[in-house]
Amino acid sequence: MNIFSLAAKNLMRRHVRTGLTVAGVAIAIAVLFSLLSFNAGYERQLGGELNSLGIHMLAVPKGCPYEAASLIIHGGVIPKYLSYSDLEQVRKIDGIEIASPMLLHQFFKDDKPHIVYGINIEEQKALKPWWKVEGRYFRDDETGAMVVGRSLAEKENLKVGQVLDFGPGKVPTTIVGILERTGNQDDEFHFLPLAAAQHIFGKEGQLTTIAIKVDDISKISAISKKLEQIPDIQVVTMTQVMGTIMNLVGSAQALLFSVIIIALFISAVGIINTLIMSVNERTREFGMMKAVGASGWDVSRLIVIETLIITLAGCAVGLTVALGGSKLVEGFVRGVIPYSPGGELISIDPFLILVCIGFALAIGLLCSIYPAIRCARLTPMEAMRSDLE
Amino acid sequence: MRDTIIAARGLSKSYRRGSENVHALRATDLSVGKGEFVSIVGPSGSGKSTLLHLLGLLETPSSGRISLQGRETSWLKERDLVKVRRGSIGFVFQQFLLLPTLTVEENIELPLLFSRKSVNKDRIAGIMEMLELTHRARHLPHQLSGGEMQRVSIGRALVNEPGIIMADEPTGNLDTATADKIYSLFKRLNEGGLSLIVVTHNMELAGRADRVIRLRDGQIISD
Ligand SMILES: Nc1ncnc2c1ncn2[C@@H]1O[C@H](COP(=O)(O)OP(=O)(O)O)[C@@H](O)[C@H]1O
Ligand SMILES: [Mg+2]
Repeated sequence: MNIFSLAAKNLMRRHVRTGLTVAGVAIAIAVLFSLLSFNAGYERQLGGELNSLGIHMLAVPKGCPYEAASLIIHGGVIPKYLSYSDLEQVRKIDGIEIASPMLLHQFFKDDKPHIVYGINIEEQKALKPWWKVEGRYFRDDETGAMVVGRSLAEKENLKVGQVLDFGPGKVPTTIVGILERTGNQDDEFHFLPLAAAQHIFGKEGQLTTIAIKVDDISKISAISKKLEQIPDIQVVTMTQVMGTIMNLVGSAQALLFSVIIIALFISAVGIINTLIMSVNERTREFGMMKAVGASGWDVSRLIVIETLIITLAGCAVGLTVALGGSKLVEGFVRGVIPYSPGGELISIDPFLILVCIGFALAIGLLCSIYPAIRCARLTPMEAMRSDLE
Repeated sequence: MRDTIIAARGLSKSYRRGSENVHALRATDLSVGKGEFVSIVGPSGSGKSTLLHLLGLLETPSSGRISLQGRETSWLKERDLVKVRRGSIGFVFQQFLLLPTLTVEENIELPLLFSRKSVNKDRIAGIMEMLELTHRARHLPHQLSGGEMQRVSIGRALVNEPGIIMADEPTGNLDTATADKIYSLFKRLNEGGLSLIVVTHNMELAGRADRVIRLRDGQIISD
C-alpha cells in the first residue's frame, strides 16, 4: 500500500460522486479543447485556403472590396465590370507573372445558388498546378464544353459526357471533365471558357475580376500601388481578404465563445464546490490519520493527490471525447459561423493538449491546496471534531 | 519506584462555548510509570477524554506541561509532535475509526505508511495472530463484528511499537463479554511491558487495572 493506492481506494469508496465529478471535468475539458482547437484550426485553414487559390491579389472594379472578398470565397456577383483595356494596362505592369481575366456569374436552380466561372484555362492551370481532371479540360476557343467541381458533380449526379441545357438560352453544354477534389471551394463551381461564358450570359467584353500572380511576393505591395493607379481598378490582396473574413467571423465567434466560456466557468465552480466538499466531509478521517501518525504533509499530499486523480482522469476522458468527437463539433460550428473554409477546421495541436492538462492541474490544485493546508494545520482532535459539530 | 513514561504538571484545558469558558480540565498533575496499567473513570463530562487527548498530544493544553519518556513536549510544534506521537503513543478510539476501503491487514499497516517504515509481513502476521484476526486479514471493516473492529484498531495502535497505548472508552460500543475479552488483551499487553491508559465508564473493568484515577468536574478526586 502506498499513498496513491490509498487515495485511489478513498475515491472508489464514493464511486458515484467520483464518477460524476470526473464526468464534469471531462465535459469542461472537452469543450475547452474543442474551442481552442477550433480557434487555431480555423485561422490556419482559412490562410491555407486563400493560399490554395494560387492568387496573390485580385483586381476588381472600384467600390466593391467587400463583394470582392466574398466573391473570392463563395463566388458571387459584382454589379460592375472591368474591360479588356483594363486587362491590357494590368499586363503592362512589371513583375506580374500571370494576370488572368475571369467572369463570374451566379444563377439559381431549385433555390440553390450556382456559380459559373468563365476562365482562361491555361492561365488557371498555371495558377492552380494541383488541378487534375477526370476526362479533359476544354480549350479556350471551345463552345458547348464545361468542367465542373467534384462536390457539385456528386450533388447533381453529373457524369463526364453528360449534356446540360445551360444558361438563360439553354445552350446544350457537354461536361468534358470533372475536377478531382481540391478541398476548397473550386469543388463547387462550374468552369467554362471565358468567351463562351460571356456569350451565354450576355456579358461580351466584360470581366468581373482579374486574378494576379506576381513573380516575387516581396513586391506585392509595390505592384498593388501601381495597379491602383489604373482608374477603374481597386486591388484586394489576400491578406486583406483574410482580415475581412476574420472580422466577419469574429463577432459571431465572440458571441459563441462567450456563451461557452460562461458555461465553462459555471461548471468549474460546480467542480470546485464538489471537490472542496468531499475533502471537508472527511476531515474527521484525516484527524484519525494524524492521530495514528500522519503528518500535516502526509494529509495534504493525500488530499492533493486525490483531487488531481479526479481532474486528470477527467482531462483524459475529456480529451479522448474531444478527439473522437471533433467531427461533430466541427459540424455544429459550421452551422453557426458565417463563413467556414473547407477542410478540417479542428486542428489537433499537442500544445493545446498541454494547455488542457495544465487547466486540469490548475483546477485540481486550486481546489485542493486550501483544504490541504487547512487540514494540515489542525491538531488531530480539532480535525476529528470538525464535522461532528 | 519505576521510571515514568509520561508526566503532566498543571495541565488544564478550557474551551470557549459562546461567550463563556468551559473548564474541561483544571490544573492537573499526573504521572504514569513504565509498564503501568491505569484506568481513568468519572461521570460523563468530567474531562476524561480531554485529559487523554492532552496526554496523547492530540490537542494543545491551555496551560501546563507534558513530558513523554523524559522529553519535554510543551515547546514542540505540530510537525515535531507528529514524530513523538508516531514513535511513542498508540491511540484507540471508541468509534474504532477504521478506513472502510482498507482490509483488516491494510488498516493495521496504515501507520507504517506515515512513519515510512517498510512493512514487515511476519510482524503484521504476528500482531494479527495475537489479536485472533488472522482469518479476517483480507476482510473489510463492514464485514467484522464490533469486537473484531476494536481489535483491528488495537493492532493499528501497536504496529509502530509504542511505549504506551491510550484508549478512550474502547469498550463503550461493545457488549460485556466482548469488552471483557478486550480487557484481557490489554492485561496481556501490559504483562508484556506495555504501559496503558484506558478511559472507561465501567467500574468493574476499571478495577482490573493497576491503578484507578477518578475525575470529577475536570479534577482528579482520587488516585
Ligand atoms: N471541543 C469542545 N468544545 C467545547 N466544550 C468541550 C469540548 N470538548 C469537551 N468539552 C467540554 O468539556 C467538558 C469535558 O469533556 P470531556 O473531556 O469530553 O468529558 P468526558 O470524556 O469525561 O465525558 C464537558 O463539559 C464538555 O462539554
Ligand atoms: Mg469522553
